[in-house]
Amino acid sequence: MNLKELYQEIILEHGKNPRNLGKVHEFNKDAKGHNPLCGDNVHVYLKLNGQKIVEDISFEGSGCAISMASASIMTDLIKGKNEHEAKEIVEDFLGMIKENPDLKSEYLKDDEKTKLMCLSGVKQYPMRVKCATLSWHTLTSAMDNSKEITNTES
Amino acid sequence: MKIENIKTEFPIFDEKIQNNDLVYLDSANSSQKPKVVADKINEFYTKQFSNVGRSVHYLAVAATNLYENTRSSVQKYINAKDKNEIVFTKGATEALNLVANTLGQKYLNEGDEILITELEHHSNYVPWHFLRKSKNIKINFAEVNDNGDISIEDIEKKITSKTKVIAITHLSNVTGAILPVKEITDLAHSKGIIVVIDGCQGAPHLKLDMQDLDCDFYAISCHKMYGPTGLGVLYGKKKWLEELPPYQGGGGMIREVKKDKISYGDLPNKYEAGTMATAQVIAFDQSIKFMESIGIENIMKHEADLVEYGQELLQKNNSVKLIGSPKNKGGVLSFTLEGVHPHDIATILDEDGVAIRAGHHCCQILHDKLNIPASARASVGIYNTKDDLDKLNDSINNCKKIFNLK
Ligand SMILES: Cc1ncc(COP(=O)(O)O)c(C=O)c1O
Repeated sequence: MNLKELYQEIILEHGKNPRNLGKVHEFNKDAKGHNPLCGDNVHVYLKLNGQKIVEDISFEGSGCAISMASASIMTDLIKGKNEHEAKEIVEDFLGMIKENPDLKSEYLKDDEKTKLMCLSGVKQYPMRVKCATLSWHTLTSAMDNSKEITNTES
Repeated sequence: MKIENIKTEFPIFDEKIQNNDLVYLDSANSSQKPKVVADKINEFYTKQFSNVGRSVHYLAVAATNLYENTRSSVQKYINAKDKNEIVFTKGATEALNLVANTLGQKYLNEGDEILITELEHHSNYVPWHFLRKSKNIKINFAEVNDNGDISIEDIEKKITSKTKVIAITHLSNVTGAILPVKEITDLAHSKGIIVVIDGCQGAPHLKLDMQDLDCDFYAISCHKMYGPTGLGVLYGKKKWLEELPPYQGGGGMIREVKKDKISYGDLPNKYEAGTMATAQVIAFDQSIKFMESIGIENIMKHEADLVEYGQELLQKNNSVKLIGSPKNKGGVLSFTLEGVHPHDIATILDEDGVAIRAGHHCCQILHDKLNIPASARASVGIYNTKDDLDKLNDSINNCKKIFNLK
């Protein structure tokens, strides 16, 4: 996918009306992330139930189209997964955006993989990979109860 | 040398960058290098290399002469009174740190005030901030007005009986505002205040005359002047450089070293500790000669035409919002595009071979004031043409199409 297609797809799909924007009612986990390069900020909220299933997930934030679209797609996919599955999906996505040619996780359905692969176009733009990964790192921090602000520069 | 076909002097424009001809509009960040400068670096390393100032063998003497020739060229170029008023540093950042640090050591006391402006690059703020921490010095800010300009009236208003230093940019790297540095210097000196000018954006684009300007310090970034990276110049009035303490200690800057006593060398060695960026200094002579061969008046005229053309073009483009319309504007066109993050703009422009910068350009104070996290910035150099600016505008239009903007 070339860059224009990437932009067209993710912006039409998620940039204009991001999914799960706002604050989850009765969230029990959350974390903030910051990307100093673009000044992107995200705040991810989770509600994990007793069975460790992500009952609800949302994000608040501002930033470039890639970071916002990535957060939107992520929250869509993670909702309903359990913590173990969520972590594997995060790993899988980070692996794909950095080096792997495709996604491997069996917890992702084919159409979900297709959606995520939309973001693979940023690989050509190493400087922008951090924009795509910000919300994902922040999700990990939220699940791990990390109080530190996730900072993609470090 | 004629400015119309100056692009041919820069080998990078013969390259295809990701299959595109390069439209380089990021010279405020760093300029491209003419062949003569790259060749000189190569020649020095392959045919003339030696460390300078230390050994007595032939190559050492020849290299020392080349190194000192650059100092003389810089002196003449900026019309400094004395060759020893030219100090080489690793960049303008180090030059400004040197000034803040040494003034802090010897001249400034608790409660003293420094006046800077909201336009300053972080390198003309953070070094003063260190003194805020270590010596309880207060920093005041002259305010940027709606045109992205600083008025001398506001500078005057912000001066108090405690103001010891005014540190200002010559030309804003975001709004393009050219500050009335001579008037500010006159005003400051009438009140006994030291003037430090961040000349990073001034030196590549404006005529410099230190004796006429009369400022106390002027910092230059060589990599923005068609010269090598890792090199800056600090101009400092001789009386200050003689009076202030050294900045770094080591070889080359001393006169005599004993177990119980150390004395320091004369200018300019006092401020050039350790092995310097020798090849860069020697090659920078070629940058100066290159600029001289075109003539600063021609450069200024050429760039003023470009700014006017670019400004008009972008003003006509709805959705584009230009940042700053100062009375005197240098070759910087910063803008935002409604609803599109500047980094998305920069990435999309890059696909068309148009290289601009996006971010806060090391001016977070200014962006906070403008209430935006970042901006896109196209900046010009001697090699740019109106055609480059047309391509910029076309590429912005592509970006608008992708984002469904009118
Ligand atoms: C206005 C201004 N001041 C200071 C600097 C820093 O200069 P240098 O890269 O030589 O340290 C820059 C360049 O980024 C600049 O634009």
